[in-house]
Amino acid sequence: MSVIEATEITKVYKRGREEVHAIRGVSLSIDSSEFVAIVGPSGAGKTALMNIIGCLDTPTNGTLTIDGIRVTGRTERELVRMRRGTIGFVFQQFFLIPTLTARENIGLPLIFNRRKADDWKIDDILDQVGLSDRASHYPHELSGGEMQRVAIGRALVTRPKILLADEPTGNLDTGNSDLIFHLLQGLNREGLTILMVTHNPGLARRAGRVVSLKDGLIEHDMPPPGCPI
Amino acid sequence: MNLLSFAVKNLKRRKSRTLLTMAGVVIAVAVLFSLLSISSGYEQQLTREMDSLGFHLLAVPKGCPYEAASLIIHGGVFPKYLSGEDLARVKAMEGVDFASPLLLHQIVKNSTPHIIYGIDPNDITGLKPSWKVSGRYFESWETRVMVVGKILAEREDLGVGSVLPFGPDQESFTIVGVLERTGGEDDNFHFIPLSEAQRVFGKENRITAIAVRVHDIRRIAEISRDLETIPDVQVITMAQVAGTIMNLVGSARTLLYTVIVIAICISGGGIINSLLMSVNERTREFGMLKAIGASGLDIGFLVLYETLIITTLGGILGIVVAVIVSGFIEGFVRNAIPYAPSGSLFSFEPALVLIALVFSIVLGLICGIYPAIRSGRLSPMETIREGFL
Repeated sequence: MSVIEATEITKVYKRGREEVHAIRGVSLSIDSSEFVAIVGPSGAGKTALMNIIGCLDTPTNGTLTIDGIRVTGRTERELVRMRRGTIGFVFQQFFLIPTLTARENIGLPLIFNRRKADDWKIDDILDQVGLSDRASHYPHELSGGEMQRVAIGRALVTRPKILLADEPTGNLDTGNSDLIFHLLQGLNREGLTILMVTHNPGLARRAGRVVSLKDGLIEHDMPPPGCPI
Repeated sequence: MNLLSFAVKNLKRRKSRTLLTMAGVVIAVAVLFSLLSISSGYEQQLTREMDSLGFHLLAVPKGCPYEAASLIIHGGVFPKYLSGEDLARVKAMEGVDFASPLLLHQIVKNSTPHIIYGIDPNDITGLKPSWKVSGRYFESWETRVMVVGKILAEREDLGVGSVLPFGPDQESFTIVGVLERTGGEDDNFHFIPLSEAQRVFGKENRITAIAVRVHDIRRIAEISRDLETIPDVQVITMAQVAGTIMNLVGSARTLLYTVIVIAICISGGGIINSLLMSVNERTREFGMLKAIGASGLDIGFLVLYETLIITTLGGILGIVVAVIVSGFIEGFVRNAIPYAPSGSLFSFEPALVLIALVFSIVLGLICGIYPAIRSGRLSPMETIREGFL
C-alpha cells in the first residue's frame, strides 16, 4: 500500500524577479516500509521535493496524498498536525539545541504536541539509537555521529510513519556514516518508510530504491543494480 | 520540559545579551518605581504634615501673597500684620473652636536664617497636639524662655538649661525644653512666648497669622467666608496650602515623568532590537522546530515567553534596585522640587509594586509581539532552505 502518492507535482518559487522551476512535474508512489534514496545534482529539486512531502511547503500544482490523506489544499494547521504525527525529519546539520541534553533534545517535539514526555519512552528511543549512556550529555559533548543519532531519536519520538532524512551523513566521516545508515536500515526493517536525500553514491546503492532527479524531473526510478529487494 | 522552560534555556544560550537587555528593563522599572513611590510618599508626607498641624485655617493679613501665605507654616515671613482686635473678632466668630495668634520673625545669624515662632503658651497643646518635649513648655507669665526644635538644638549644641543670647539686644534666653523630633519643619524653629516675641522684636500688638480650628470640619468653607468679613483678614485653608504646594511641585513632576518616558522608550527599543537579532539568527532553528512539529503559534509563543521572562525578571530586579538606591534618588528629587516635606519621601507600597510589575509585563508584551509574529510567520521552507539546498 502506498504511503506517499505524489501526482504531477510542480513547484515554482520566486528568487528576486526570477522564477525558479524547482520541480517540473514529478509523480512518485512510495509504499509503506520502502527505503528510498533520492539522488541528483545540486538544484535538481531534491530538497524542494522533500519539503513538499514533509508538509513544510505546498506544491504549486499537482496532488499529494500522505498516509491516505490528501494533503494538497489543506490549511497550515492541518499540515502542522501531519508533521507532528506522521512525519519525522532529520537534517544534515543536526539542528540540536545546544542548551538541551540528548534526552531533552529527543523530547523536544513532544513540547509542541502538548504531550508529557514519558521517561520510559525516551529511554526506549535512547536505547534504539544506542545513546543510553549519553542521555544527559549536551550536544557539544557528543561526536558528530552521536549528534545525528540524537537527531534521529528526536525524529522518532512521535512514532512517525515516514522519516525524511536530508543528507543525514553529509557532515559525517565514513565510519559514522555507516553507523547512521545501519541505524536507518534497522528502523526501516521495523516498518518505517524512509526517504533519504544523499550525495553519497555508496549509500544510495544500499537503499532499496533509488530515485534520481535532474532539473526538476525524475531521471531514473529503480532498485539499485545488483541489489535484491 | 515545556515551552516555558525551553524559553528559559534559550535565554541561557545568550547570557550576556539577555543580561544586557534585562539591564535596560531594570533601569526603566527602577526609575518608574522610584518616581511613583516618591510621588506617592510626597503626598502622604505632605498630608501628614498638614494633619499634624492641629488647625484647619490660617487667618492672614489681606494682601499677603498667596504663595507666601502658604509658606507661613514653614517659616515664611512677610511685612504685614493683624492686630489683637482682629484676634478678638476671630475668636468671637461662630463655629470657631480655637484661635491662636502667631508672630513669625526671621533673623540671620552666622549667615544661617533662624525662624522664630511667637506662640501663645496656653495654646501649645491645642496648636501642636503631636508635640512631645523633653524639659517643659514655657508658661504665659515667663519671660526670656525658649523651646527649640530637635535639629536646631543638635546643630547649635543647645540643651535644656542652655542660655542663648537672643534678639537685637542679645538678651539671655534660657532653653526650657527641646522638642522631640517631629519630622516636620518645627525641628528647625525657635519657639518663644508670643508676648516675648512682640516685645523683643518691637511688634507690640502685632500678629502674623491666626491659626484657627473649627468646630465642625464640614463647615470650613462657610466659616472661611464669615472670617473674611473681618476687614483685614484673608483666609487660607490647609487644604489650599497643600494644593498650592502640590502645584509648585507639579512642574517638577512633569519633568521627572518625561525622564521616565524616555527611559522606557530607550529600554523598549533595546528589547525589540535584541529580540529581533536573536530571532534573525535563529531562523533556521525555527524552521527545524516547525519541521519537527511546532506551529507558527508555538514559535510566536516561544519568542513571547522569552521576552516576558526578560521583562518580568527585569521588573522584579528593578524594584529591588529602586529600593536599594531610594536614598540617593530621594536626595536627587529633593533638589529637583521646590518644597519637600521632611521625613522619608519614599513610600514602599504593595500597589506600586504591582503597578511596576504589570508595567514590565505589558512592556514585554508590547516589545515581544512584533518579533513573535515575525518569527511565527517565517515559512519553514524559506528558513531551512539555505541549509537544505
